[in-house]
Amino acid sequence: MTAPTEEISEGIVALLPRLRRFARSLSRNQHDADDLVQLAIERALRNHEQFRGGASLSGWLFTIIKNAWLDQLRARTRHREVALPEDSGEHPAVSPVDTDTELWSVSEAMDKLPEEQRLAIALVLVEGLSYKEASAVLEIPMGTLTSRLARGRATLAAALGEPA
Amino acid sequence: MTYDDETLMAYADGELDEAQRAAISAAVEKDPALARRVERHRATRARVAGAFARVLEQPLPGKLITAARGADAGPAQRRAEVLQFPSRTSAPPARRWGVREWGAMAASVVLGVLVASQWLAPAEPFLSPRNGALVASGGLATALETQLASTQSDTDAVQIGVSFRSRSGEYCRSFALREAGAAGLACRTGDEWRISVTAAAADVSGGMRQASAAAPAVLREIEARIAGEPLDAATEKDALAGGWK
Repeated sequence: MTAPTEEISEGIVALLPRLRRFARSLSRNQHDADDLVQLAIERALRNHEQFRGGASLSGWLFTIIKNAWLDQLRARTRHREVALPEDSGEHPAVSPVDTDTELWSVSEAMDKLPEEQRLAIALVLVEGLSYKEASAVLEIPMGTLTSRLARGRATLAAALGEPA
Repeated sequence: MTYDDETLMAYADGELDEAQRAAISAAVEKDPALARRVERHRATRARVAGAFARVLEQPLPGKLITAARGADAGPAQRRAEVLQFPSRTSAPPARRWGVREWGAMAASVVLGVLVASQWLAPAEPFLSPRNGALVASGGLATALETQLASTQSDTDAVQIGVSFRSRSGEYCRSFALREAGAAGLACRTGDEWRISVTAAAADVSGGMRQASAAAPAVLREIEARIAGEPLDAATEKDALAGGWK
């Protein structure tokens, strides 16, 4: 293992709690989230030369997770169109680690959002990125990020029963 | 002056420049309806952030640490694969063992006995001799490497006790093995967890935590090695994230 990859590896290990949280906010259970993180880590290490020293490692990894997640969604959609009209059971309704009802209800509400709104919510509300950082991760203009965030947030507020 | 939802949201998120922020702050003070709209944005943010925040407290799956360190992880990788955190049931917030509770181990059988005991059963030994020293292997190595005392469950096969930095700078962690009814102290030397002391534990299944007898062997070893205070939940987590280096 070369020195730069080792540095990235240790950086990834240090970021694991946040990567898992970001992935969890996109997935319906922690098991799927961890699979997503694993996939993203493997991609990151394979393409480590794409990481520019000095850039934000977390931002780079969030982008990779985002892309891996979108790939998975598309693959699943294609898969279902061909063979599985109903839910394939890939997302067990109750995962053993998700016994937390608050996490579960927020996660359920997130799950109903269009994917681009969910990504905006996940990066800004869950990960605490600034609008500028989030738009860089999602590779979209800030105005687009803001409007996705506002729409997703309104839907979430209604679903979670925040006082209007 | 009316404000659109995106502007109020940006205000709630602290994204506006100073001039805009001041203008809205003034408007919010005079207009309860506006204040409620801002509050709604804040409440949604707090709720969503709060719900996912607890993911940070969960133990890290060994497979992710392994993946991050790439294929060169070797034995550490194989060990980590043994661990299956995602299949764990709820994780009650385990109390950390204080030095005193570790002291509860009715001590005294040291190293020699263990080498001959079930710890070295061929399936997945917890201890292996290496270069004249005894090092953690199998599930014990995995637990020492990846398990946090702050999040472990009472039912975990290996219970991590206190973690600390020793006077010679390496990390040490005390542990108890439920099945073997044994306890000990391991210190990270290079890539290995070297066992510095072991002792028989009278009762690892729970009574041990209530017991109050002093535990000579492990306790003495901790006291001899510890530099400063034991790690707390946060520093323990950082040490784990840093690979115990």
